Amino acid sequence: MANDRLSVIFSALADPTRRAILARLAEGDATVTELAEPFDISLPAISRHLKVLHNAGLISRSRSAQWRTSSLEVAPLKEATDWMERYRQFWDVNFDRLDAHLKRIQQQTSDDNKKSDKTDKTDKQERTDR
Amino acid sequence: MNAATPTEELVITRTFDAPRELVYQAFVDPDQISQWFGPVGWSVPRDTVDIDPRPGGKYNFTMVNDEDPEQASPSKATFKELVPNELIVGSEKWDMPGYEDLEMFMRLEFEDVDGKTKITLRQGPYTAEMVEMAREGWESSFTKLDKVLVG
Repeated sequence: MANDRLSVIFSALADPTRRAILARLAEGDATVTELAEPFDISLPAISRHLKVLHNAGLISRSRSAQWRTSSLEVAPLKEATDWMERYRQFWDVNFDRLDAHLKRIQQQTSDDNKKSDKTDKTDKQERTDR
Repeated sequence: MNAATPTEELVITRTFDAPRELVYQAFVDPDQISQWFGPVGWSVPRDTVDIDPRPGGKYNFTMVNDEDPEQASPSKATFKELVPNELIVGSEKWDMPGYEDLEMFMRLEFEDVDGKTKITLRQGPYTAEMVEMAREGWESSFTKLDKVLVG
């Protein structure tokens, strides 16, 4: 299922070391040793991160055993960002509506205030705003 | 898309010309949620809104398509943290076999900016990092509270 795939992708992305590895691979293919260089963690730990990324389809790995390199796979990343983009659009429109709503209720409040300033003071107690 | 900066969370900021209390209330007041929430063409019927604004409380409502009321999108979330006029953190479980542990979070921060209110919304899968951020959020709130109390 597409959603299951997405959650595997997001789980894989939810780690700063793995995101750094992807950022490095975006510059070009690299071996485990090269990928480990910037980090203060062991080669086996890097290999474990690579396995997670590979299972999520975010990287592919060459067959050559001696100089096995990893490369970035862009398609799943795009899937993840497309998903995010849908939420972004949702919130953009939603926030337009919130903006209009806030204008409306502030207008109402100021109208009410004007009205009560002119008329009697008895309705003051009913006003709970501020 | 910038492949060099993969991210797992969505961050949106927006400034509203209204005081912070008012903007915060728009998210926790059931009447107001039903007045504005949802994209154009969708409404949130008041009777679907069930909001209990405290940590562990419900944040439930349903968006219904105006033209085809059969199309409905229920949102069942839980408040994780609330700091009035400052912070709302909610989470929604992913209802998927095998991924019961994975949750969607939504974090809303409210800031005063020259009499206006800036909202920072973050949304994405709930991860250990988020828990850490939530903790930091609390700490910074407490720091602010300290300042107020010390005067």
